Amino acid sequence: MFSEGNVLNRTTALPRLAWAGIAFVGTLLPISSFADDQDVRDYRSHIMKTMGEQFAALNQISKGKVPAADVATQAEVLRITAGVAKVAFTPKVLGGEAKPEVWDKWDDFSKRLDELVAAATDVSKAAKQGGVAAVTPKLSSLSCKGCHDVYRVQKK
Amino acid sequence: MIRASKAAAVGIILGVTMLLPMVGHTDDKDVVDYRQHIMKSLEHQTAVLGQILSGAGPAENTLAHMETLALTASVALKSFEAKVPGGAAKPEVWKDWADFSKRMKEFAEKSAEMAKVGREQGVDQAAMLVIEALPCKGCHDVYRDEKKI
Repeated sequence: MFSEGNVLNRTTALPRLAWAGIAFVGTLLPISSFADDQDVRDYRSHIMKTMGEQFAALNQISKGKVPAADVATQAEVLRITAGVAKVAFTPKVLGGEAKPEVWDKWDDFSKRLDELVAAATDVSKAAKQGGVAAVTPKLSSLSCKGCHDVYRVQKK
Repeated sequence: MIRASKAAAVGIILGVTMLLPMVGHTDDKDVVDYRQHIMKSLEHQTAVLGQILSGAGPAENTLAHMETLALTASVALKSFEAKVPGGAAKPEVWKDWADFSKRMKEFAEKSAEMAKVGREQGVDQAAMLVIEALPCKGCHDVYRDEKKI
């Protein structure tokens, strides 16, 4: 079990993955489910942190600080991850960095996630077709802050 | 003859100088930051796949996470090519580069195979490849400084 605030606990994550692979074979993906509330929080935390890392990597690329050749790959990972984010927030489980407003204003939150997916898809397409030059002007469309200001607990 | 040699030397220096921006790394901190973004992204992706496979995450996202793992693994080795110690990377990464790069290439190949099987044969088949595709601990035990994470 991952613990809140320590989602990168390697000592538990890797053994869990090891036995899970074996156990999984017999399950044949039966359901969309989480085992408990902490799993829900952990899952969405991993998703949001993945997007944070991907966005940071894309920013570095757009500033010419790291290899431009990676731009399409990084943008595609961001697109795919944005595409699964809504599933991570669908269970109404308070806690972590998500404010209750996520579910109180679900229509707005959900619409913003859809817009994020559309923007990330556009960035990924631009990266494949036009490389860094095409991506850089579009990165502002992925602005995380607008949503975080409303729906994420501010770090102190 | 001397003049020709000088011209060649100047040419080489200029050439190298011009090529450096194409490599793209502006300073050591950027190099370390970038590879950390990649490795942390991999950690999060591995964790969610682990959750799903143990029945603690949404199964419909399995293939998506396999795909992102394969994509991120495909650029991971490159982020270590610049010999810049720091972060959680031990100096052994570059000291034993042949071994490290071999492991990273295998990681990229096997995670790509896992995603391919997931696309073509279904994620239940791909799940049988997970352990082989994600040999994180074996590499971390040798090449990552756990105290600097």
